[in-house]
Amino acid sequence: MGAGGGLSLSDLVLSIADNKQMLGLRYAEWATRAPSLEADIAAAAMGLDDLGHSRVLYGCLEPLGADPRGPERESDAASLRNLAYFDEPWTEWSQFVAANAVLDSAFTAMIDACVGGSVEVLQHRLRKMLMEERYHFLHGRSWLRSGIESGPLDRAWREAIEWFGPPDGETEALHREGKLSMGPTELRFHLEEQLEMKPSHVSIDWNKWDPIRRRGGPGAVDHHTFGMLRGLEEKKYAPPSAAKQTAS
Amino acid sequence: MSGSTYKRVSGEAVEYEVFARKARIDPLHLVGSVVAPDADLAMAYARATYDEERWCEMAIVRKDDVIRLWAPGEA
Repeated sequence: MGAGGGLSLSDLVLSIADNKQMLGLRYAEWATRAPSLEADIAAAAMGLDDLGHSRVLYGCLEPLGADPRGPERESDAASLRNLAYFDEPWTEWSQFVAANAVLDSAFTAMIDACVGGSVEVLQHRLRKMLMEERYHFLHGRSWLRSGIESGPLDRAWREAIEWFGPPDGETEALHREGKLSMGPTELRFHLEEQLEMKPSHVSIDWNKWDPIRRRGGPGAVDHHTFGMLRGLEEKKYAPPSAAKQTAS
Repeated sequence: MSGSTYKRVSGEAVEYEVFARKARIDPLHLVGSVVAPDADLAMAYARATYDEERWCEMAIVRKDDVIRLWAPGEA
């Protein structure tokens, strides 16, 4: 949180980074399960892109002056700031497409707002992401147009709007300060315009919204994924000698 | 299926040829192909599949739009 108790730009950047990291991991899980070889390759490439973007975003926290990451991130999966959409691996291609079209584009809209804002480190470091994200958008929109189930799509829209934040909240305050070139209302409009669609009726109880995790409900990333993020999964495959070295 | 009748494209998908070059002075050359139902998805697939080099330009064209003057063995 910011010095005055409000949401800081660092909190927002950490949220983008955590979500991009999880999006990248979930994309990568589909690298051998997508409907075609081309879609497999695209899933792998987009996964790598988003994991790379998350690294750049984490690297922006120090120059921003206040790194909100605490030690609890090593032990408590619920301290990560990912949306509920990424808590569990996706079981349906529709979930992949909805995340690709709606959530990935929502994160890009926020990055666009950072690049267009007044903070130099974000202006410079995040610009290249917008070029790479163009192809994620084309991929997501094209698959979306081919038609997917409404369940994942409605959920992705709802979580995207929640993630933008309340219309008069602290994200809007960052917009008014000039640190972001768009606030929640403009971000939603931008997303609707890009995807050429509006979500089904979305009613959000902002009293239940967590401003740090930018989501409406509790929950956390699954145990296996959390272990992988902390490097614990790969230790299972280390030879016994390496395990001894680690222990000593 | 014989090589002459094999068709990679099925349904409404279309085959696109992918061209790229590394420097402005180089000519565009064929680096491969992708199959997609529309040009947007073909662009995304081309970029994902053939982005291993630092191309300064990449372009796609529908294979059906290429006008062949002659084929192998016809010259």
